[in-house]
Amino acid sequence: MIANPYQPLTATITEIIDESPTIKSFVVVPRQPFKFATGQFIELTLPGQGEAPFTPSSSPSVTEKMEVTIMKAGRVTGLLHECQTGQPVGIRGPMGKGYPVDDFAGKQVYIVGGGVGLAPIRSLLLTLIDRIGDFERVVCRFGARSPEDFIYKPALFGSWKQIQGLDITLTVDKANGNWSGNVGVVTTILKRDDVDISNAVAVVCGPPIMMKFATLKLLDHGFAPNRIYLSMEKNMSCGIGKCGHCMIGKYYACKDGPVFTFEQIQNYPNIWE
Amino acid sequence: METVFISQLKALLDAVAQQMVVFTPTEVGDSFTYARYTHDGEVKAVLNPVRTCSPAKEFLFPMREIAAVFPEAISPEEVQPFAVFGLKDCDLKSIQILDRVFYEEEFHDPFYISRREKMFLISSDCYDPKDTCCCTLFEGRVFPLKGFDLNVSKIKDGYLVEAGSTEGKMFLHRNERLFADAPSAARAERDRNRQQAQQQLEQINARYKLDRKVEEIVLESQDSPVFDQVATGCVECQSCTRICPTCHCFYLFDTQRENAFGKMKVWDSCVRQDFARVAGGENPRKILGDRTKHRLMHKFVYFLERYGIHMCVGCGRCVDSCAGEMDFRDVLVRLNRELVNIKGRS
Ligand SMILES: Cc1cc2nc3c(=O)[nH]c(=O)nc-3n(C[C@H](O)[C@H](O)[C@H](O)COP(=O)(O)OP(=O)(O)OC[C@H]3O[C@@H](n4cnc5c(N)ncnc54)[C@H](O)[C@@H]3O)c2cc1C
Ligand code: SF4
Ligand code: FES
Repeated sequence: MIANPYQPLTATITEIIDESPTIKSFVVVPRQPFKFATGQFIELTLPGQGEAPFTPSSSPSVTEKMEVTIMKAGRVTGLLHECQTGQPVGIRGPMGKGYPVDDFAGKQVYIVGGGVGLAPIRSLLLTLIDRIGDFERVVCRFGARSPEDFIYKPALFGSWKQIQGLDITLTVDKANGNWSGNVGVVTTILKRDDVDISNAVAVVCGPPIMMKFATLKLLDHGFAPNRIYLSMEKNMSCGIGKCGHCMIGKYYACKDGPVFTFEQIQNYPNIWE
Repeated sequence: METVFISQLKALLDAVAQQMVVFTPTEVGDSFTYARYTHDGEVKAVLNPVRTCSPAKEFLFPMREIAAVFPEAISPEEVQPFAVFGLKDCDLKSIQILDRVFYEEEFHDPFYISRREKMFLISSDCYDPKDTCCCTLFEGRVFPLKGFDLNVSKIKDGYLVEAGSTEGKMFLHRNERLFADAPSAARAERDRNRQQAQQQLEQINARYKLDRKVEEIVLESQDSPVFDQVATGCVECQSCTRICPTCHCFYLFDTQRENAFGKMKVWDSCVRQDFARVAGGENPRKILGDRTKHRLMHKFVYFLERYGIHMCVGCGRCVDSCAGEMDFRDVLVRLNRELVNIKGRS
């Protein structure tokens, strides 16, 4: 019998973590171990209510549970935010192609992120940290609207700061209280000499407007279009390259992505919209 | 015994109906749709001169179906063998296109496949093409050469029946007593009819001939204002995509019944404004003209790049159904003319 790709795997929400005023992380325990590669995504079903795509924010080395970090953005995400622990959910996937981590070996990895875009980036970072010696450097430039809006605060302001070979700079659009760091959108902290561009790859994930301007800045700094990896958020339904919702030109973001190099998609209309 | 003669269509359909349910074209107004064939004569055996109004995809990819039930999964219902009579070459091609999608290596669609494997395809030659038919513009023919189990050609005194698959051959053998040999005069008559119908259609479409490959024209027209101009007539009824035999966009819709939850797979349409909108409000095809362009790009460029064939079979159903009276052949001709003019000027 052919496996049914529309059939969700039953899972349970076992823990809910408040990350920011609009973002929560959900620890989800599937009925059986669930493997994924970093950057791949799942379709999470709230039974009877709807389904939405999310990239697990946890390390792929853990298969008995995963974390998904969800911003309240509309109907399904709004309902998810009202859920309590013990809530049954469904998981389909893993879907798409993840980050080509092996291709990053020996290089400087330049990660630019904003808002809930840090979710896939956390999974990537946890993967990179596991083998941090394989990369020349890992340089992160993250932005949020305000200091409260940063997610994963314990890691950002604590544990990740201790890691050798990992360099993280943060910025906020609007400072308040005792914020002493940078103020300005994330592109203002992207500097030409942050990384050695001749041996670097860039990874960008965040709101579309941020992705657009970050990409333009990286190009301006001399990054080649095939060295910029973008996580494309598109409307999705099936997740398996059939339903047509996620098309970017000839590509299906769900199946061929969601991570694309800028080179792959640069000539298609309205990619940032 | 690959091509045989039978004098009555009813005898052929009755023989098929002994083995399985048969759907056959039935007249509604001046077009045809499918109905379940009954040998008592309530639904008669008639040969449609041209394709039906409803697309063949309905047999394989229905407008809505259950795609999953959980927490306890149910297996797809056992599909019984069924036959569809009256398919035309464009219908067969549309099925080949859908096969590419739903049988794709990594992800097979079990619902499509369970029906597809049980479908017995009986096609027939078109003997009176409509003025919206345009398969000949896209390397199509008014008669099938492959992709069928049986193909029927109308001649003066009866019908020629050709087997195009092992199942088709087996059927002819099993029902040998119904058929006579096909004399060479009958075959010659069939070939003449085919040629005549083909010419008739080529004449109908003479004014839509393009100077270059359709994919080149559409691709090079990316920035053309023509899409926005023609879209002003569109009322976004979505009938073009629903009646299209190759359009296969859908969405999964979650439902609940007592203690079980379900996912329905329901047809969707790229003409719909929010089709590609994401939660943040971004939408790559907010503008109707961009959606009109995307539909043609998908059909003639993207699908070709991905699967090596066009996603349009030239059946003309979208032209018949359009509430805004858009004829994509006119759109292509306008794009073609525009490119020629630009070239001419530079
Ligand atoms: C690959 C990928 C990974 C992502 N990862 C994350 C992540 O890690 N964290 C995160 O917070 N966000 C992530 N997102 C974004 C997230 O998927 C959206 O925020 C979410 O889909 C919003 O759903 P909503 O129902 O709350 O929003 P809505 O605005 O209500 O819906 C969004 C869209 O879904 C469609 N839709 C809504 N309801 C229905 C329905 N009943 N039937 C059919 N279609 C409907 C509509 O087209 C609508 O435009 C990711 C997106 C993608 C593509
Ligand atoms: S059938 Fe015509 S009016 Fe209706 S959505 Fe298609 S192009 Fe627009
Ligand atoms: S989500 Fe269905 S094709 Fe990508």
